[in-house]
Amino acid sequence: MRISIEGVGIQFRKGVKVLDDVSLEVATGDFVALLGPSGCGKSTLLNAVAGLLDPAECAMLGRIALDGGARNGTRLGYVFQRDTLLPWRTLAENIHVGMEIHAVPVAHREQRTRELIALVGLDGFEHYYPHQVSGGMRQRVQLVRTLAYEPEAILMDEPFGALDAQNRMLLQAELLRIWERRRTTILFVTHDLAEAITLAQRVVVLSKRPGRVKRIYDIPLPSPRDPFEMRASPAFAELETRIWKDLRDEFRAVPA
Amino acid sequence: MRTLSLVSRRLAFVGALLLLWEALTGGLGLPAILDPIIVARPSAALQEIARYSASGLLVKDVTVTLQEATIGLLLGIGGGVVFGLLLGYLRPLAETVEPVLVAFNSLPRIALAPVLIIAFGLGIASKIFLSLFTVFFVIFFNTYLGIRSVDPELVKALRVMGGDRWDLARYVVLPSVFAWIFAALRTSVSFALSGAVVGEFVGSTSGLGYRMVISAGLLDTNRTYAILLLLMAIAVVLVEIAKRVEDRLLRWRPTAILAS
Repeated sequence: MRISIEGVGIQFRKGVKVLDDVSLEVATGDFVALLGPSGCGKSTLLNAVAGLLDPAECAMLGRIALDGGARNGTRLGYVFQRDTLLPWRTLAENIHVGMEIHAVPVAHREQRTRELIALVGLDGFEHYYPHQVSGGMRQRVQLVRTLAYEPEAILMDEPFGALDAQNRMLLQAELLRIWERRRTTILFVTHDLAEAITLAQRVVVLSKRPGRVKRIYDIPLPSPRDPFEMRASPAFAELETRIWKDLRDEFRAVPA
Repeated sequence: MRTLSLVSRRLAFVGALLLLWEALTGGLGLPAILDPIIVARPSAALQEIARYSASGLLVKDVTVTLQEATIGLLLGIGGGVVFGLLLGYLRPLAETVEPVLVAFNSLPRIALAPVLIIAFGLGIASKIFLSLFTVFFVIFFNTYLGIRSVDPELVKALRVMGGDRWDLARYVVLPSVFAWIFAALRTSVSFALSGAVVGEFVGSTSGLGYRMVISAGLLDTNRTYAILLLLMAIAVVLVEIAKRVEDRLLRWRPTAILAS
């Protein structure tokens, strides 16, 4: 799915202007990282794309189009930073939820759940409740829960932000593997430069609040990528240095 | 403490309490510190239970009291859940009726007993209503607060998945409300029993509470204590059942680790 963000400005009713004239085109099958300092409005932009903004709390200028049109009935996936699994459902049952909502036949549901559980190496944990497994495992389930109902685009809001370094890299590798296989459009919010370069085809640097698009970088690193290896490559280091120069000034500003 | 099982430790503690009580009331060949006319000896109270049972009254009284408490409990839970959901969903209505509900809730609900007996007579109906009212408010407030405290992030997650109002109710609101309701189950069970027994104290023709008031009036200390022990035993069993139900239905919850 193509995501078109045209001249979007968002202001909270209490007066804070978080985004100013942001335009961005995410092509079908693209993997775009939104990178910016804390408070620059990157999560707000993601919520706007997902249609989660409360009009009572903020006003939006500009237009967001999904495949050129309105949001009606499009399947979006959203992976939150905080764990939003349903605590009263087992891991397998959590993966079912999206498929139940989209009325996927039961037999199909069970089979797809088995595949997804295997995909992220959670075999044997199907019938555990979320509180019984680690944060990394819960985040894996959040990821495949979203894949289960085959959304046309996946929005991710710092999904690995709460994980330790090892789990973060493992999950980055899994996400890359999945994306390379399925080529679902992904819009990924992060404040971690290395993560953005590791994952995305394009990195959009946002300025400090009110967030504007400062620059867009192509990341011409070859596929398949391996997060454990690529950090050592000269191309990676070169990109990191280049983008950091842009980002540095925005990071330096103290978030209000 | 580690070597003995929990059940044996508990039984030993109850046994020790009974022995102490027996000794204080002049049992075990010791001089009585408490007059057995005022405080019954546990051995005598237990013998009285046997006599009470043999007369056929025990089964009758227990049946009446349990009937009142159970019907009151079920109706109270049903009513509380329905009203709690209704008001939880209809904010303007909730805001309108809230002061009245708070007023009713702060009233000692047992104080309704005389009013209910005037309205529904000495039979079981008035006790069912008293039981119902005591349970209703607990369940109602838990349901209502349960709806209010649904995690907005879970709601958001379901909405992006494409969930409509019904999906939200089914996947998020009702399960989290049920957690609140089940958490109030144990309290409700003992409330239901108190409702029934106090109703019987105030005015009735049968039931454990009725028999207890009559015995106390006749200074039949043994029977009064016998009924007290029976009520305790019934409460322990009922609360244990409620606890099992709760543990089973809320097994998804992280168990609180108690100091051991």
